[in-house]
Amino acid sequence: MPFVERTVRPLTILGALGVVTALALTGCAANPSSATDDASTSGKVSRVSITLTNDGSDKCAVSTTKVPAGPVTFTVENESSTAITEVELLQDQRIFGEKENLAPGLAAVSFTSTLGGGKYQVYCPGADTEMTDFTVTGKVASTANSSAASLLKQGAKGYATYVDGQVTDMVTAVEQLQKDVAAGNLDAAKKDYADARPYYEHVESDVDGFVKKGYKATDNAGNLDYLIDMRASNLDPAVGWSGFHAVERDLFANGAITDDTKKTASELATNVQLLAKLVPTLDYQPEDLANGAAGLLEEVQSNKISGEEEAYSHIDLVDLAANVEGARQAFAYLKPGLTKLDPTLTKQISTQFDQTNTMMDGFRNASDLGGFDSWTDATKSEHANAISQRVQALQDPLSRLAEKVATA
Amino acid sequence: MSEFSRRGLLGAGLAAAGAGVGAVAGVAGATAATGVNPFSAASNGDESIDLSLSHPFYATAARQPQGGIRTDPQRYCVFMTFDLSTSATTDLQVLLARWSASIAQLQAGKTVGSVEPAHGNGVGADTGEALDLGPASLTVTVGLGPGVFDDRFGLAAHRPAQLQDIPALPSDRLQDGLTGGDLSLQACADDPQVAYHAVRDLARIARGTATVRWTVLGFGRASAGPSQTTPRNLMGFKDGTRNITTDDEYDRFVWLDDSAGWMAGGTYQVVRKIQMNIEIWDADVVSDQQRVFGRTKVEGAPLSGGTEHTTPDFHARAAMGSGAASDGDTAIDARSHVALAAHENNGGVKILRRGYNYTDGLNQYGQLDAGLFFAAYMTDPDHFTRIQRRLGAVDRLNEYIAHIGSAVFAVPPAPRAGSYIGEQLFR
Repeated sequence: MPFVERTVRPLTILGALGVVTALALTGCAANPSSATDDASTSGKVSRVSITLTNDGSDKCAVSTTKVPAGPVTFTVENESSTAITEVELLQDQRIFGEKENLAPGLAAVSFTSTLGGGKYQVYCPGADTEMTDFTVTGKVASTANSSAASLLKQGAKGYATYVDGQVTDMVTAVEQLQKDVAAGNLDAAKKDYADARPYYEHVESDVDGFVKKGYKATDNAGNLDYLIDMRASNLDPAVGWSGFHAVERDLFANGAITDDTKKTASELATNVQLLAKLVPTLDYQPEDLANGAAGLLEEVQSNKISGEEEAYSHIDLVDLAANVEGARQAFAYLKPGLTKLDPTLTKQISTQFDQTNTMMDGFRNASDLGGFDSWTDATKSEHANAISQRVQALQDPLSRLAEKVATA
Repeated sequence: MSEFSRRGLLGAGLAAAGAGVGAVAGVAGATAATGVNPFSAASNGDESIDLSLSHPFYATAARQPQGGIRTDPQRYCVFMTFDLSTSATTDLQVLLARWSASIAQLQAGKTVGSVEPAHGNGVGADTGEALDLGPASLTVTVGLGPGVFDDRFGLAAHRPAQLQDIPALPSDRLQDGLTGGDLSLQACADDPQVAYHAVRDLARIARGTATVRWTVLGFGRASAGPSQTTPRNLMGFKDGTRNITTDDEYDRFVWLDDSAGWMAGGTYQVVRKIQMNIEIWDADVVSDQQRVFGRTKVEGAPLSGGTEHTTPDFHARAAMGSGAASDGDTAIDARSHVALAAHENNGGVKILRRGYNYTDGLNQYGQLDAGLFFAAYMTDPDHFTRIQRRLGAVDRLNEYIAHIGSAVFAVPPAPRAGSYIGEQLFR
């Protein structure tokens, strides 16, 4: 990469490996006798009961710790442990199956995994002994979860195409904006502005880490995200203001296109073109998609709900819908693999996206710029609370996505 | 001993006495596991706060109430209500079960799950800000609002007849954003961060099932348990002098008996956010303030004479020149707060008050924005309604206060270990 270097990369899970291994060892040493070697089998399915209790300390008892290769049904019942709320079946750091929302008094729940031969661990976070070794005898599966892992990788690849497409379309839209600004056509430029914004908002958490070659990472003058998307509230006086929102101020607050506007729009086009050259060099791990989706929702909560992002044009709901859409795309690309890993979480997130979209549909308004209700003080005071809480409900399960896909 | 000096605080009374600190610490520390502080019972008003004390969450007998009702009021309290955003009965069931298990952890001074997850890409289950703070006598009381029993969850048949929204009352200045809720949490503790952490973790668990509606942060208790001195509200007057204290009164006025079915051992919670016009009150002469309350300011004695706990005589005549409106009036103004609220003048009805002073900083007019978070427990919310209907109509205090928030909740009994709050509803 001759011109730039990327400064921000999502963390990988390597750091967690050591922790899990250490826990597995203590679990092995401390819990030698809580189980027999006989799995009760029904047909070809082995059955294992996991019982959570508290008799002064929190225990996670596994009815058997050795089963033959094949489908295994784990039934989890929380009799009296308040500290343990989930149980996972792990091999190294991979999650093969799990149950959450366990609490005393609720009915037993179960999950079934098809397991190849090898060493596994039953992980009960919060138990005195968190890890219980679990052995599957017989044929080693050809990396049992490879289908999920490869589906996720495939999804990450597909998502890269989506991001590239968004950035390419943004170049076209910004060039149109520049053309109408250059021609002094205020009304057309306003519409162009609203049309161009969603492309950036779909993918901004993936593309905000670029620094121009020759600049320090701390120098905003070389930070492409700063140059393209900086808002008035976060200006660096040493660098000044350029990009989308400087154009927005001229078009919507000042209501006039000046020579400065033309220069800013032209710089914006140049920077967006540079971004479009850089973005295809990125490649994504599944957890990058998950972290990116979570990042887009953070954007919603921190800048859009407040109306800070589009302080002059008030098209915050256009951006907000685009953030949600970008997050939904990332999730959609992970979905085939995630469904295999954790169907419950997948369904939960899908439902939350559906409900969020239904809510956003209620704000569609063809007569307002960008196709959504203008985010005026009146709309804000009436709806901000409901939107924020709806997005929170989506954010919560989504925040658990990175861990799932990183460990597949 | 070093444990105590790190975690313990001494109440003002004891600190002023300046003696026997070490001995107190020893007693309090030794009884930490039981959750009972015998010292406070013997100390006649001197309070020592031991942050290592804890209250058990689970019931060990039938019809045992939740904590945070008869519990000696802790110093701080966070109250929050929620709207259920789901219509799936199992979501509500799982939420109540998760809340119950989590509250048991929190009251024991433990986290709800790990603060540092084992997986690198994981989010922490517990938010972590209460680590090392101790249980601080935390209690979290869960209430079920009328909305739980509407047509969304198929629980209408379980709705107790008494659980009805509080009707509009005289002088109400209720704001929509401070009113109602399908669920309530009252988290009280002797450390404000312990109380706040509890509500924060529980609100987090609710995400996707319920949305937050309104909240009040109580920074100082405005009611007393039997062994505590009567604290003062922000008007400078003692609050709750004639509160419910005896077993007999609790059984008569607070706890529901077996006829209440699944609510036996439970009670009803009525909350009101009462804003005070602080600046106006401060400019009122003390003799008028005393007339408004019907009590003296420092001692808290009824204006009919005696000391704080002397029974008020609502028929006693004012002495000449006593400041009462005119010769021949009663010593305690018939429109004073104490006269209107007294059980003698309300058909014998009493309610348990367990309020906290709150502040929201400054209002838009540059005035102190503060008041009383009134929380009360009773066998029938209508008892509150009847008292407040009189107070709202003629109380002299109305010139200085406004009821801006209101809600009512059914508070089920505490669950046994292995069960959860409201479990009977889902059988």
